[in-house]
Order: sequence, then structure tokens, then C-alpha cells
Amino acid sequence: MTNKLGFSTKAIHSKFIKKDPHGALHMPVYDSVAFEYESAEDLELSFQGKKPNHIYSRITNPTVENFEQKIKKITDAFGVIALSSGMAAISNLIITIAGSGDNIITTKHLFGNTYSLFERTLKPWGLEVKYSDLTELENLEKLIDNKTKMIFFETITNPQLEVADINALSKLTKDNNILLVADTTITPLCFFNAKELGIDIEVLSSTKYISGGGTSVGGLIIDNGLFDWQNNEKLAKDAKKYGPFTLLSKLRTESYRNLGACLSPHSAYLQSLGLETFALRVDKSCINTLTIAQFLESQKKVKTVNYPGLKSSPYYKIAKKQFNNLPGALLTFDLSSKKECFQFMNRLKIIKRATNLNDNKTLIIHPASTIFCEYAPELKAQMGVRETTMRLAVGIEDTEDIISDIKQALEVL
Amino acid sequence: MKIKVNNELQEIAGNNLNIADLLAKNKVEVPDMVSVQLNGEFIKKESFETTFVKENDEVDFLYFMGGGKLS
Repeated sequence: MTNKLGFSTKAIHSKFIKKDPHGALHMPVYDSVAFEYESAEDLELSFQGKKPNHIYSRITNPTVENFEQKIKKITDAFGVIALSSGMAAISNLIITIAGSGDNIITTKHLFGNTYSLFERTLKPWGLEVKYSDLTELENLEKLIDNKTKMIFFETITNPQLEVADINALSKLTKDNNILLVADTTITPLCFFNAKELGIDIEVLSSTKYISGGGTSVGGLIIDNGLFDWQNNEKLAKDAKKYGPFTLLSKLRTESYRNLGACLSPHSAYLQSLGLETFALRVDKSCINTLTIAQFLESQKKVKTVNYPGLKSSPYYKIAKKQFNNLPGALLTFDLSSKKECFQFMNRLKIIKRATNLNDNKTLIIHPASTIFCEYAPELKAQMGVRETTMRLAVGIEDTEDIISDIKQALEVL
Repeated sequence: MKIKVNNELQEIAGNNLNIADLLAKNKVEVPDMVSVQLNGEFIKKESFETTFVKENDEVDFLYFMGGGKLS
């Protein structure tokens, strides 16, 4: 019966793995590093993974496990691992799947820190990163060779707000026995079913929608159980021993454990609470985003507005199909110059100048001078980041108040 | 017959014990989250009923927190 329940019911009512001795309605915060055992034999079996017990909170923790189980239930995934951030999710996954001499295929239209991870952190360790336009499948297929481990993409790119055809990417990766990995941060779990569209692994920042309003930093690796790990050269040997548990085993008993990017129990508690109101907040912020995007489109001082939910977006149709008509709460718009952008931003009274998404508050940033400030102008151009663009991460405030704030700030120009 | 289950030697009556029976006999907690290895090789969930243990087999029930239940 549980799988027939709706998203919010599952998020609110999912059972604990072990009954709470006091009947607590929320999983308590187990702020304990270690856990005691009755015997040395029990401790040995637990270290070998032969008893489902927690040993040390860097590896597993009851509050974090409860959060992972909630995500697993609502996504119908095979396995979930919660980490300290979205970037930890991406780095842990790639280090587990690929090694020196391997390659991954992606696009330069990525979150700035993800691009930096690929270029500046992983490349020097021997990982080759091939860039292409993910909407040009023929070119993409030519890049695949016997060392290619995955295609990595963002379901809606940040801040370019491009949308790739996920079914087409999934067919391509399945035909070539490589993984399709998606950063699904911007397309919330409650209306976007990555598993149905053939995404093997999701990585996402739970800091955003899930945390419940910018309360805590966290990340998730979601294994949808679609990939045969014998097809990954690096993990084939493990696949004989662990079957579909291969990725989870490799992470939990090796890379995730050794790298130490665990989620804290307190953050897991906040993010479990955030899940309970997730769908309500997503609905409100998406409605706000479309209304604000339409308002911005009507303003003469605004040069362009980019939001996949707008009919003027080249991605409107595919976004509607893939994201159940709710393409997130992020939009960008352009003024005439960087100077105008800064003047506009400095005049805002309600909207905060800050770098986050899916907070309850509406936040604005000028990506070219902040998230992408470390990149040369030519590279920014290749990355689709313009000096005239601002990114608005829309919150759940009353729409008319946000529009009034934008209106009065535009008047200064 | 004698088999080893999670490091422990067990005496089994008869020759007709499959992996599903063995999970029940050992009262394995949260079986949906368990990965089963027979002599170091992974056993698929759909083969639990048809895979029988034999003398000197080693069976391990392994837990990887955060995962399980085959789709």
C-alpha cells in the first residue's frame, strides 16, 4: 500500500526502521558518534556488515538513515546515501565510478563549482572530461569510447536554464552501457520522476528545496537501481559479489566512508522536517516564478527573460513534458549592462542579495561576478554566462510583494 | 550438513534448505535491505527460493544501510 500513497503522505508518515522506545513522532537527533555493543562478536559482525547496526556516525547514523529511508520511499529508489553537500554527492559518486584514464562526458553549461570540480580538482588526478552540447546527440555519441564511464548533466542547467531531452540521453547511455547521471537539484522530487525517464543515478543538493528554507547544507546520491554494475569496468568485480548493491557497497564501505563527507544528524533532522512541507513550498514557488517571469517579460527595461515555464523559452515543450509543467523556481533576466544589474540589485528591499536556491526567501545574484568570477571572459561566454544577467531564485512570499519590489527597483534605471 | 552463516557454523537437518528458508531460520532483520552472498557470489532475490545450500557452503547476509528491495 505504501507505494500507492502520495508524495507528502509518504514524507510525513514513513515508518522508522526500528520502533522508537518513547513513540516519538519525529525521529530524534542521535547526536552520538559511537554506539555500544553487548559483545565483541556483535561488534565484529557489525563491522563486517553482517548485522544492521550503526557503528560510527561518519559511516551511518540512525537520524541520517531515517532521512535516507524517507527519500528512498518517496522516490522508489534502490538506494540512497545522504552526504554533507551536493558537491560531496557529485565528487563521491565520480570518484567511485571513474578513475585515472577514464572519461566522463558533460557540457560546459554547468553550475560553476561543478565545472571547477571537474577541471581543477578531478582532471589533475587523471580524469578526462569531454564537453559537448547535450542537445546534439550525434556529436555526443562520437565522444563515447571504452573508457567513458558516464554522461553527466543537470536536468535544468544553472544558470543557463537549458533542458536536455532525458529520454534521448537515456537511450544513448543504455545503448552504450554507460551511466546516465543527473544533477536534479532544480527539478524537485515531488513532480519529477528521474527513474521513469531512465536516469540511473541522481545527485542533488538537499540544501535547496529539501532543507525547508535554507536551514542546512546537505546532498544526496540516489541509485535508481537501473544500471547493471558489471558494465562498469572499475566495479565489475564488486558486481559479482554485491549485484545491485554494488554502488552502495563501494560508497558505504570505501569511498564515502574514507572521504568522510557525512551529513550531520542535526542536518538530517532538519531535512526530514523539510520534506514534510516540500510539495507545498514547491507549488507556491513555481507559481510565483511563472507569475514573476511573465511580469518581467512585460517590462521594457528588461531585455530578456529566461524561464523554461515561459512559452517564449525554446525549452518550454520539453520542460512541460518532463517536469509535469513545474520547471522549478529559478529564472534569469537581463538588463542593458552589469552597471544596471548592480543598480537594480542594490535598490531591492525585500529580495535578498544572496547565493542559494529554493530558500523560502527570494534571492538574487549576478552570476558572472560571483559564482563564475574565477573564469576568464571567453570561458564565461562558452559557459553561457553573461555580464548582463541576474539570477532570481524565487521563494514562497506573496507574489504581489515580490513584484512590487522588482517594480520599484526597475524605476531607478 | 554443516554450513557457515555470517561466520557461525550451523548444523542443518536434511538437504532441502533454500536461501529464503535460511533467511527465515536466522530471523534476518529487515530482509528487504539484505544482500546475500553464497560462497562469495551475489544471489539475486528472485533466486532465493531456487538456490539450495549444500555441505560446507558459506552464506553471508550483508547490510548496506540506505539501500535494498530489488525493483
